[in-house]
Amino acid sequence: MSLIGSFALLIALDLSAYSFLAGFLALRDKGAAWARLGETARRAGIAAFAAVLLAGIVLVVAAFNNDFSIAYIFHHSNRDLPAAYKFAVLWSGQEGSLLFWSLLLAGYGFVLRLRYKTDQRLFAYASVIIAAVQVFFLLILNFAAHPFAIMQGALPADGTGLNPLLQYPEMVIHPPMLYLGYVGFTVPFAFALGALIMKYPGEKWIQITRRWTMVTWCFLTIGVFLGAHWAYAVLGWGGYWGWDPVENASLMPWLTGTAFLHSVMMQEKRGMLKVWNMSLIFATFLLCMLGTFLTRSGVISSVHAFAQSSIGTWFLVFIVLTLGVCTFFLVANRSHLKSEHKLESLVSRESSFLFNNLLLLVVCFTILWGTFFPILSEFVQGHKVTVGPPFFNRVAVPVALLLLLLTAVGPLLAWRKTSLESLKRNFLFPALGSLAIGVMMILFGVRPWEDPSYFYATMAAVLSALVIFTVISEFVRGGRVIAGKSQQNLFAAMIHLCHRNTRRYGGYIVHFGVALVVIGILGTPFNREVEKEMGFGDKISLGPYTLVCQSYTQDDNPNYGSEQAIMNVFRGGKQITTMYPERRFYKASGQPQTLPRIYPSFREDFLLVSDLYLLYEGKNDTTGQPIIKAHLNPLVPWIWIGLIIMVFGTIVALVPNAAAVQVAATTPVRAPAHVGAGG
Amino acid sequence: MMMIIFFCSVMTIASLYYIFFFPGEVYAGEEKTRLGYLRERKEAVYENLRDLNFEYKAGKVPDADYQSMRTSLEEEAAAIMAEIARLEQATGQAV
Repeated sequence: MSLIGSFALLIALDLSAYSFLAGFLALRDKGAAWARLGETARRAGIAAFAAVLLAGIVLVVAAFNNDFSIAYIFHHSNRDLPAAYKFAVLWSGQEGSLLFWSLLLAGYGFVLRLRYKTDQRLFAYASVIIAAVQVFFLLILNFAAHPFAIMQGALPADGTGLNPLLQYPEMVIHPPMLYLGYVGFTVPFAFALGALIMKYPGEKWIQITRRWTMVTWCFLTIGVFLGAHWAYAVLGWGGYWGWDPVENASLMPWLTGTAFLHSVMMQEKRGMLKVWNMSLIFATFLLCMLGTFLTRSGVISSVHAFAQSSIGTWFLVFIVLTLGVCTFFLVANRSHLKSEHKLESLVSRESSFLFNNLLLLVVCFTILWGTFFPILSEFVQGHKVTVGPPFFNRVAVPVALLLLLLTAVGPLLAWRKTSLESLKRNFLFPALGSLAIGVMMILFGVRPWEDPSYFYATMAAVLSALVIFTVISEFVRGGRVIAGKSQQNLFAAMIHLCHRNTRRYGGYIVHFGVALVVIGILGTPFNREVEKEMGFGDKISLGPYTLVCQSYTQDDNPNYGSEQAIMNVFRGGKQITTMYPERRFYKASGQPQTLPRIYPSFREDFLLVSDLYLLYEGKNDTTGQPIIKAHLNPLVPWIWIGLIIMVFGTIVALVPNAAAVQVAATTPVRAPAHVGAGG
Repeated sequence: MMMIIFFCSVMTIASLYYIFFFPGEVYAGEEKTRLGYLRERKEAVYENLRDLNFEYKAGKVPDADYQSMRTSLEEEAAAIMAEIARLEQATGQAV
């Protein structure tokens, strides 16, 4: 079995190397012979996908067959591991996840190479660049982190099992989502670099990669949020974001990718910011590589980093090399990236995009600095100095609020310039609505002047409301125009409006989801927790809840043994649910795990929903009494609802536009003979 | 072992056959030209005009702003169309 996998990886490397070299040579000339060489390169890229796919299948089959002669399977699986986790073995360890990276890249390359007729030459450039990245990953897989390495000595009877932290349903989905995001940014990167190298005239490459970029961004968004939810539901500390290096690694390309998605509109609409957009997509790709490096190299300690190895050097060399190539072509072909227009006013859609980009990059740079500070401090001072959440929050929270303000304001500003009258006309309703929310918060007892965290929470609520009211006002205004022309009711007209310009209105739905996510986060200063040793019938109170310990129970299965507390939850004297916080002990790995139980109070208080979060922390060593910890986390469920809406908005934005309702005839434009050439 | 060698050999031969043996002409797409680029720009400016008209109808843009932005976009479109006309004349291409 392992021989077939090893052979598949080796042939995949050969095919990718051929695809790169032959493709590269074929781009040097345009004769028929060169075109045939290019076609062989394209086909080699497609065949490489089949080979990597075979290697992936072999590894999964080996996991299901408990083939512990393969060291990777021995270290990441065991006989009693449930089937879903055996499938997830593919991305549970370093070698497997690098194979998975390579497989996804080959898959993206496969689709791209099948669609080459869209723009044959541009696709050929992109294909060569993707082949180069593929060669890098296959070199690592063949020579540094081989997934089919054979166990030395006697064949073990059972594996050491999967890390208990990874034995959670979301772990079957989270890494593929994150990797689809990381790997997916290779495609717009390849097109951008290809367009720069060949001095591609125009912005068509952006249109070609628009859907790739949005899909990739969506996967990365899901991956980041699933990671946060996994931390919340598995790690048992009551929070969802700890500014852990690996969390940061996934957030950084998301930030630059988000900046790119916005600023690229300026290039499409007005031919501006060409160098900036190139730099953004280059940075996003490099940050994706950096993220993979951080997760896989073990250079920075993290609860999410499941590997310690020497492949860091490979990644560093590749990152430096890629940075060199990108910088060289940016400088050499800078004349090709001249802007066609200048910024006309600071109060315009363009400037709001520009500020949005700058703020996203400020957050990104802060995170980069904070993440690498331990390495830098060790290099300079000889000992590691780590920076914690306060460092990140000090910068990220105020900048995030400014970003939220721009999210609200941006759609209301006109392209080119916005007059004072236009501002008054568009801002009145959203501004009054959001101010009303601020006043209501103060009336309900929030005192923003008493603590900076309350101030930030109030500002976040006001600005989130501003975003939501802006989105509503955009839909209502547009819907009225459509309703007036098509005699539909307002709701049907708004759906029609959405279908008429899916990208814009899908984007607004994403903004709405972002506002909900922020509402979910702003509850953090109001979190409460209590911890108590609890015998049968003991009670603890937390907010509106009373928790009564009914009993404790034990269970055992081939994979793990477990203890559960049975906790009855009362509110207003009525029992509303029973929760079973659990502690497991995994047999194969010999590791314990605490599994929280979460009750979101949607039925009791929908808008101000809270999570009741219970942990069974095991028994006190001296008293032998079980310890229960309870958290009350207000508004957190809105984060996950916000994610669903963000994903829905992205899907809407991916739908092709319907034919526009004619709201006004465009004045025919006459071409005067004396007007000179533009651009 | 023989089975594995046989399987790997078949895989290699199949790959080589797929890569190097293909009948007929290779598809060569159109070369992207300045003219093609200008036509894309023209479409982008028209799209901007349509957006502006819609926003005006939605009451987002005051009259004065609308007139000035529309004039500016029309001038941009005119400049692009003039260059398209000149290039088409030079290459003898039909509109």
